[in-house]
Amino acid sequence: MSRTAEIPWVEKYRPKSIKEMALPSARVSGHRIKLDVELTNFIKNFYIEIKKINEENRKIRAYNRTAIEKDQKEELTISPEKAAILLEGPPGIGKTSIVYALANDLNMEVIETNASDTRTRKTIESRLKETTKTRGIMDFITQSKDKLILIDEIDGIYGVQDRGAVPTILELIQNTQFPIIMCSNEYKTSLQPIYNKIQRVEVHPLPENEMLKITEKILEKEKISNLTNEDLELIIDRNNGDLRGVINDLQGISQGVMEKDNKELILSLHRDSIEEVFSLIRDLFQVTTLTEARSLTDKSDVDYNFLYKWINENLPTFLKANRDIANAYENLSLADEIFGRIRKTQYWGLLPYFYDLFAGGVALSRKETPPIKGFRKIVFPRYSTGSYFSLTTAEKEFIEKIQKIYEISPIEFLQDLLPFLKTLSISSRKQLKIISDWLELDAKEKKLLK
Amino acid sequence: MNTEIPIWRIKYYPKELKEFCGRDSIKETLQQIIKQKNFPHLLFIGSEGIGKTTLAQLFAKEFLGNNFDANFKLIYANVPLSDDERNQAKSEAYISTSKIGSIAGKRITTPAFIQVKVKPFVQLKVIGDAPFKILIVKNFESLGSDQQGFRRLMEIYGSNCRMILITTKVSNIIDPIISRCQIILISRVKRDRFKDLIIEIAKNESLVIDDTVIEALYKVSEGKISKAIDLLQLCSISGKTIDMQKLYENSQRLQNDLVKNLLLMALQGDFPKSREMARKIISNYKYDSHEVFTLLLKELNKIPLNEFARKKLINLIADSDFRAIDGRDIDIQISALLSKICLFSEYL
Repeated sequence: MSRTAEIPWVEKYRPKSIKEMALPSARVSGHRIKLDVELTNFIKNFYIEIKKINEENRKIRAYNRTAIEKDQKEELTISPEKAAILLEGPPGIGKTSIVYALANDLNMEVIETNASDTRTRKTIESRLKETTKTRGIMDFITQSKDKLILIDEIDGIYGVQDRGAVPTILELIQNTQFPIIMCSNEYKTSLQPIYNKIQRVEVHPLPENEMLKITEKILEKEKISNLTNEDLELIIDRNNGDLRGVINDLQGISQGVMEKDNKELILSLHRDSIEEVFSLIRDLFQVTTLTEARSLTDKSDVDYNFLYKWINENLPTFLKANRDIANAYENLSLADEIFGRIRKTQYWGLLPYFYDLFAGGVALSRKETPPIKGFRKIVFPRYSTGSYFSLTTAEKEFIEKIQKIYEISPIEFLQDLLPFLKTLSISSRKQLKIISDWLELDAKEKKLLK
Repeated sequence: MNTEIPIWRIKYYPKELKEFCGRDSIKETLQQIIKQKNFPHLLFIGSEGIGKTTLAQLFAKEFLGNNFDANFKLIYANVPLSDDERNQAKSEAYISTSKIGSIAGKRITTPAFIQVKVKPFVQLKVIGDAPFKILIVKNFESLGSDQQGFRRLMEIYGSNCRMILITTKVSNIIDPIISRCQIILISRVKRDRFKDLIIEIAKNESLVIDDTVIEALYKVSEGKISKAIDLLQLCSISGKTIDMQKLYENSQRLQNDLVKNLLLMALQGDFPKSREMARKIISNYKYDSHEVFTLLLKELNKIPLNEFARKKLINLIADSDFRAIDGRDIDIQISALLSKICLFSEYL
């Protein structure tokens, strides 16, 4: 066996440049975008912006040195949406690869942390903060490569080990000297503070024919010929858009014992990964019996807390007829109610009803909608429950300005005063100007009035 | 800052108790209390937007005099806590020192709202020579079961801090609280007093407005003074004379017809679009689920429908509202209602 056989193929065939890569399709808030263009622009804009800010800060620092304490100005920080970007999508579709390929093309160095590093506050700080805050003297002399920070598997942040990681990352975004790209597989409510601040890009799996092309290329290079096209399709199908999984499977099969019937081997492959949410939901809307639905939810270890939110979000994609939707929601809303009662009373004996209702009840609601053909896009739950109250910074500042002179609660402001001010300023430009001058509104706050 | 305030409802906001429009008997009672320098906990009851908070605030200001700033606090019970405040409440939980019984060695947490917003204020001693501090809690009914926590607070810290609880729905307030308070019912402003106020404002702003229009303004604004003043300002933009037509046009513009549009959209049977719309409304206006359902009910009663259909739809709304009490995800409950309305629309 040659030495190269020991390198995982996933690493061996990781694209070195954007050009040799099959780009996954991506969307930003529903609009299709080109991922490579988006990321390149993001990095370029970041460096333009940070240069400006650094220059400003230098002036401010110089000013502060002479000024008395009262007149000291605060240093500027970069706005979060310009400093960081989040790629979201199922595992193995090339999120990390594209970042490395891009960095290679732009001649940048990638600093990576991922879930295999424990991400306590301290470790993140020691690994990243120094590189983000300061540029060493050596950097100026040697003119080393620009850096790019990649925080991979950000949804792996939870539990005791990663305590304090979210605030640290937020702080990092504010003080960074290098662009930050984050990758994530699934929606996590604990990451909401991060989601709120930065741009999120949905990345979708490659179409199956693209994956077929890639696998064929690899097989050609590895000089393997005993796999038929049918076998390849089976492997690809089993992996539900996970290219990394496909390549791992290929390597496993081709380096394993070759005497066995290939198909049997493929089917017997058990990688450690468990059904991902994406495929789980896709399957859930296909089942025809309650037992199937139950076995699907039993098998998966996706947190049911989230699972029914995913179902809620994606229900209209799979069910089209109003009767089906209403039936599904009848079950889902009852499941939600039961779950609320369980949490309130701690009577966990009710949990089986919850499972049956949210999985089976929803899956078996299909009566009038024709069966699904082709690929349906699954979206992340965009709506988080209203259990906590969040205002945008513009709203917050506006309210604070009003509250100095007039006692009003944030809710009354949004429901009562703001609509009035809006109508007022729509009907006359002059009023808009008078009000915004009087309250000293900035551009963002003014936007609320339009 | 300019001396001229461009928002009329702030400009004509009363600065003293005697400037407060109408409600003479209540004002007299409050004046009496101020003279006596003592009062029990108060419970202000009255419908939305008629000036309960304004009255309570002016009263507290007059009662405390120079010590007002240090000894007064107004909190909104219906504004949810931020994440930071929640965490603060959690960190302040303590471990029970009792060695027997069910609470032995357990973490004791007080409701976050009380822990963060109420306790720090009521526990602090009075500053200056005021007889006690005054705490106003607005929308008290929305505290729900957390009201229980107020029972002891009102007794233990009663001598240090008096509370004025403000509510629109007395039926949602638990009996022990009601029995600890003196109840003050606040009615809406009387027609002639309203008229006096509007005439005064009109004089000030050199508007021309006649009696029938004022009458109409009273009706349109449902006796809510801030709403009436808003409307007046909006009318004044297009000229100093205010007639019926202008008034109605502008009152239409001020009306929030988003919820109505939502209902109509659902009745057309388009589920994905109506869900999108509902989400937008909730995120813009921060309604809680119950508010959305009651608004839908209100709009439902306005649109022309046969009685059977109306009854059926009310049934659906009630059912969803009921489920949302225990449910954890508003979005699911509202989507459920919309999907049922969409289905029902096919039979209309």
